[in-house]
Amino acid sequence: MTFDQVLEAVSGEPAYRSSRWATQTVDHVVTCDLMSDVLVTDHDEILLVTSLPSDQVARTADMVGACGVVLVNGKPPQPSLVELCTHLDLTLILSPLGSFEASWRLGQRLLGRV
Amino acid sequence: MTIADLEHRLGCTPLVPYVEATLAGAYTSDMLSDVMAHAPEDSVLITLQGHKNTVACASLAGVKAIVLAGQREAPDDMLAAATAEGIAVFASSMRQFELSWRVAALLGLGVPPRF
Amino acid sequence: MIPIDPNASPSALLELIYRLKVKDIMTGQVKSVEKDTSLREIQRIMRENKVSGVPIVEDGRLVGMISVDDIIRALDQGYIDSPAVVHMSRKLVVLEDDMPVSFAISSFEKYQYGRFPVINRARELVGIVTSRDVTSGLLLEMNRSLEEMERVLNLQASPEPIGQVKRVFLVQQFDYENAGRASTELKKILQDRGVDRALQRKAAVASYELEMNLVNHSLGGRLIFHIDDEKATIEAVDQGPGIPDLAKAMTEGFSTANDWIRSLGFGAGMGLPNTKRVSDEFDLQSTVGKGTQVRAVVHLKPQPGDKP
Repeated sequence: MTFDQVLEAVSGEPAYRSSRWATQTVDHVVTCDLMSDVLVTDHDEILLVTSLPSDQVARTADMVGACGVVLVNGKPPQPSLVELCTHLDLTLILSPLGSFEASWRLGQRLLGRV
Repeated sequence: MTIADLEHRLGCTPLVPYVEATLAGAYTSDMLSDVMAHAPEDSVLITLQGHKNTVACASLAGVKAIVLAGQREAPDDMLAAATAEGIAVFASSMRQFELSWRVAALLGLGVPPRF
Repeated sequence: MIPIDPNASPSALLELIYRLKVKDIMTGQVKSVEKDTSLREIQRIMRENKVSGVPIVEDGRLVGMISVDDIIRALDQGYIDSPAVVHMSRKLVVLEDDMPVSFAISSFEKYQYGRFPVINRARELVGIVTSRDVTSGLLLEMNRSLEEMERVLNLQASPEPIGQVKRVFLVQQFDYENAGRASTELKKILQDRGVDRALQRKAAVASYELEMNLVNHSLGGRLIFHIDDEKATIEAVDQGPGIPDLAKAMTEGFSTANDWIRSLGFGAGMGLPNTKRVSDEFDLQSTVGKGTQVRAVVHLKPQPGDKP
């Protein structure tokens, strides 16, 4: 999946496009609101789908080598979060959908129908 | 879809005996305050939070079943509370993303992919 | 009057006034006299020792206090040769040597006295504390802490063998604004050195878990990185409170996090077990009341016995 496809699937808006926006492939998605659990991820370059609007989301995502974050539930991010994503060159997409809907739409795009 | 589908079609492990019922929707969240505020009635909750408070929030929201993602067990007090509230609890080795995708399919959501 | 308002002070200062004890700031060498000593003699002692209050003792136990005001009144009314016991203040507010300085500050606010005698558990007089002792004690301690910090930071200035990097970061309790900065820096260093992404992630995760533990659970501490071509070593050293049950702390899912920490998305009890999981070497030591040290090493070149 490309970021453009991610954007479309989650009806999202890009708050920050990383330098790899055009070339990045998303192969693995993690939906999680507990950052301590995200840290147990073993895959590289995941797309993190979360409703937690805190700065720690960006830091955690960076630690695990995520390629981007989708912030769901239509929550407006703190300016500090957008700044941090910019600093870390981490794509940040905002989605009005809930976690469940954003996840299954991404799932269908990435994995097809069950 | 029904609660039994969670066991028979998704392979989730029931942690308490459940009463079969229809599920109208689903909600995925690990933040209980969010569940309490937004989870729809007659839905299945997909979450990491396997403890007694989850049952309390689920009950307030009218959630009928809880699937604990990436887990095999739940504490006894959670299961006792769930039984008392008539809420089904399942464990699954799948994580929130995959569970959401599969439950959506069971609910008949989404359109066929374009060719 | 001490210009410290516990409700509006910076946390570093609050930490000090709760950590420092009265015995750390008091004047220990107290000139005290037996209760039958004359006020005239006491006046001479005050003048020679430049003190404004003299505790009165009986067999080492504090029984009263004579202040400059008492002397002035005695001179005025002509009883300067009376023994202390007749005129001393007997209702004394005292402080115990083990009390935190915050108690001393509250007492100065409440009672408007210039000084308090300090007693130990056996009610023996062990010192005296004035408001000036509080301010100079705090200043001294702050200076000492700053010197310690500077010493630590100066380690970075010493020349490093080529290819090796050492960084020290100070991490404060509940400092969520800076939480994670050290680990981000570590990851960047590894990235700049061309380390494999999977290894970067292992080291970053180990570091971040330890950093968040320092912020969420410790009274503050240091994160120290040593990086060379062979390995990345991350040490987290804190000054308390210490872990009572190490085995429990290493159990997945065990957490001492409060609701606030959980609401930030942490505290699911994965920190230490996860650190161990991603590390090739892991060591944990802790003493309750003193602090905890964790050492995690990620091998940057494969070694026999490494996990895949």
